[in-house]
Order: sequence, then structure tokens, then C-alpha cells
Amino acid sequence: MTINPDEIVLFQWSWLVINSTIFFTWLVMFLLTLGSWLVTRKLTSQGQLSRWQNLLEVLINAINGQIREVSRQEPGPYLPFIGTLFIYIAVSNILGIVPGFTPPTGSLSTTAALAISVFIAVPVFGIARQGIINYLLQYIQPTFFMLPFNIIGELSRTLALAVRLYGNIMSGTIIVAILLTITPLIFPVVMQALGLLTGLIQAYIFAILAMVYIASASQAHEEIQKKGEK
Amino acid sequence: MIINWYTVIFQIINFIVLVFLLRRFLYGPIIQAMDDREQKIMQREEDAAAKKREAEEESRTYVEKKEELEEKEEEIKEEVRKAADKEKQKMLEEARREVGETRQRWEEAFEREKESFITELRRRIGLQACSVARSCLEDLADSRLEELTWEVFMDKISKLPAEERSSLQEALASDNNRVLLKTTFDSPAEKIKELKKALREIISGANNEPDLSVKTDQTLVCGLELDAGGYRVAWNIDSYLEGVQEHILKELEEEAPTAHKGEVAEGGQTES
Repeated sequence: MTINPDEIVLFQWSWLVINSTIFFTWLVMFLLTLGSWLVTRKLTSQGQLSRWQNLLEVLINAINGQIREVSRQEPGPYLPFIGTLFIYIAVSNILGIVPGFTPPTGSLSTTAALAISVFIAVPVFGIARQGIINYLLQYIQPTFFMLPFNIIGELSRTLALAVRLYGNIMSGTIIVAILLTITPLIFPVVMQALGLLTGLIQAYIFAILAMVYIASASQAHEEIQKKGEK
Repeated sequence: MIINWYTVIFQIINFIVLVFLLRRFLYGPIIQAMDDREQKIMQREEDAAAKKREAEEESRTYVEKKEELEEKEEEIKEEVRKAADKEKQKMLEEARREVGETRQRWEEAFEREKESFITELRRRIGLQACSVARSCLEDLADSRLEELTWEVFMDKISKLPAEERSSLQEALASDNNRVLLKTTFDSPAEKIKELKKALREIISGANNEPDLSVKTDQTLVCGLELDAGGYRVAWNIDSYLEGVQEHILKELEEEAPTAHKGEVAEGGQTES
């Protein structure tokens, strides 16, 4: 039994290795892009909306609402990053129910990659919003001695983010595998249904945490300013 | 090591690509569509608000116009009322004037009627008086009176003034001595002879025999009348009565106007 989809090699040519994780990621990417293109090529801004357009609008409005609630900022700049995190993870997890599909999120490499993306995005958004000096200054808040702890905090939360997602998705897959050996009928179905729920919740948690981190980085400046004013 | 760094790098690249793909195919168009819709809804709301304002403005204008019209209506009504009053006054005056005129005309007609009635009355009274006198005289007329009448008539002929005598002569001559005698009663023969004799004296020349014809006429009322070629010698009561009648009527005609005045005045007083 293979737990790590990275180890399932589907294609190899010289140094280029296409493993199961990469392949299914591409598949998800393709499905998402195709679906988006199919829906958005005939958008209307008045009259009756198509069912799919309505669905996408609801989804994006919900994501925007969440971003707005967490960051108390306009969601515009964050939407592509946070939205993509959520949609990618959610779709990967939901497709996990399809036989033969290995969710790429079940690979620690994928979750690590996403966590690293968040790790990079946090300073990028922070700097973009408040400038490099102000961003770096918050590492020595409230005193200079807090610098190592701030850096450790930054790294540890990235690691936690990666492992949390991996653990949850992987556990779901592993539990189903174990249950299949004990009770091959009915019970795994319930667990898979539960897996759908936990998959969506994980996607939501991952995206919200990413937003919280980014928001904390870009709000720090305002907090410093407020302190200065006081 | 369960983290495959090769896969991690691949996945990072994949994720970045996916972000851009979704941005291009999902977020961009959807956000754009939503913004457009929002814009259009806002636009529609603004339009609606503008139209509402316009409608309110128009409604206010209409209310003002209505009020204005009502005021005008009142004014026109007032004017009409005034005009009607004026017309009424005028018509009343006209009617009063017409009634006055009619009354005056009527009074005048009445007066004329009265006048003519009085005149007629007077005339009839006169005629009646004459007729009474005539009746009396007719009752009195008899053969004795006839004899007296003949005497008076013969006397009148014999004592004709010179002018009238010559006029009679001329008249006789022009009509071949034809003479018509009208009497009330049958004349005695000797009286006729006497008359012929008298006439012979009057008629001069060779043929002095008068051609005398006698006619009884009851309308003469006791008298005689000699008609010779248009010339007339007469004595009878009728001619006197005619004269009296004429005289009475003339007197009455003259008296009438003065009597009217008093009566008109009296009439006016009783009417008012």
C-alpha cells in the first residue's frame, strides 16, 4: 500500500519525472480552467443569469466576504491567491471520492508547496501594502529582542499549515484504507462522506489561516501608526 | 523523507500557474460582470430616482396649475355672475320700459276709444234729439198745416229776392220750363193752379207755360220743395231740422275736446 502519491511515477524521461501528485494537480488545474472558461465565456451583466454563473458568483462573493471579514480590507488584491487556495484544495479533496483519483493534497509535498507559497505571499503582500521598511520593522516589535521569536513564529506557522492539511487529507485516505481491510462494506462509504466534509473544512481553514497571516502582516503597519498617534 | 522537493517545486510552479489561470478565466470576468451589474443597477436606481424627482416636480407643477385653474374658474364664475346680474338688470329695465310703453300705448288707445265713444254718444244724442223733434212734427202735420205750409211757400215764391228770381228764371229757361214739386201730402188742384200762375209771372217770354209734375215724398216732414233745373225753392220742417241737427253736432264737436281733458285726468287718478 502506497501512502505517498509522490512515489507513484507515471512517466519518466531523463530527469523529468511525472508522478501521481503532479499529474492529478494538472488534471485539477485543467478541469478548473476549462470549467471557468466554459462559464465565463458567456457572462451576462443583466437579465437572467446562467446557473453556473450564479454558482461562481455566489462562491466568489462568499470568498470575498470571508476575506473582508478577516482582513477588514477590500478583498480585491487577495482574492486570486486566497480564492485559488480554497478552490484548488476543495476541488482536490472532493475529487478524492472519485475512484482512481488520488488527491494531490494528500501529498506532503503539495501541502508543503502551498505552505511555502503562503510563507512567501505573506511578506510580499505586507511589503506591497506598507513598504519594505515598515514590514521589516514589525519583526522587532515590541522590542528588538523579539526578532528571533518572530522569525521562529513565522516559520513554525508555515510548517503547521503544511502538516495540518497533509495530516487531515492523508488521515482520511489512510482511515478509509484501514477500514476497508476490517469492514469492507458500507462503513467506508460513511467515512468517505465524512471525508468530503473534512476536505471542505480543511480547504476553508487553510485559506482562512493564509488570509489571517497575510492580514496580520499588512495590518501591523496600521497598528504601529495607531500606537504612534496615541 | 516524505517531502519530495522536486515535487514541491513543481507544485509551487503549478500553483502559481493556477493562480494566473483562474485570475484570467474566473475572477477577472466574474468580478467584471458583477461590477457591471452593480453599475447598471446603480444607474437604474439613479435613473429611477431622477424620474421620481421629475415626476414629483411634474406633479407639483400640475398641482400648481390646478390651483391656478381653480382660481381662474372662481374669477370667471364671478365675472359671469356679474355679467348675468348686469344683463338681468338691463333686461328688467327693458321689460319695465316696454311695460311702461305698452301701458302708455294702452292708455292712449283707451283714451282714444273713450273719446270716440263719447263723440259717438254725443252724435247719437243729437240725432236722437232731432229724430224726436221730427216725430213730434210729423205727428202734428195734417191738412191744415199743409194749407198753412202752402201759404208760406207761395209767399216765399212771390217775395223771392231779385237775384234769386233771376236765377230761377235762368234755371227754368235752361230746362224747358220743367218743374218738379215734392209734397208730403197730396196737393189740392187750386194750390197747383196758384203755383202755376206764380211761376208764369216769373217766367218771361213767349212760352211761359210751366211743365209742372208733382211727386209725394214722405221724408219731407210737412213741407214743399220746388226743383227747377237744379234750382231749388223749398220750405219744410225737415230742412229746418237738418239745420238744427247740423248746428247741434257742430256745437258738440266743439265742446268734446274741453270735456275730454277733465275726464282723462279723472281716468289717470282712478288707474293709479
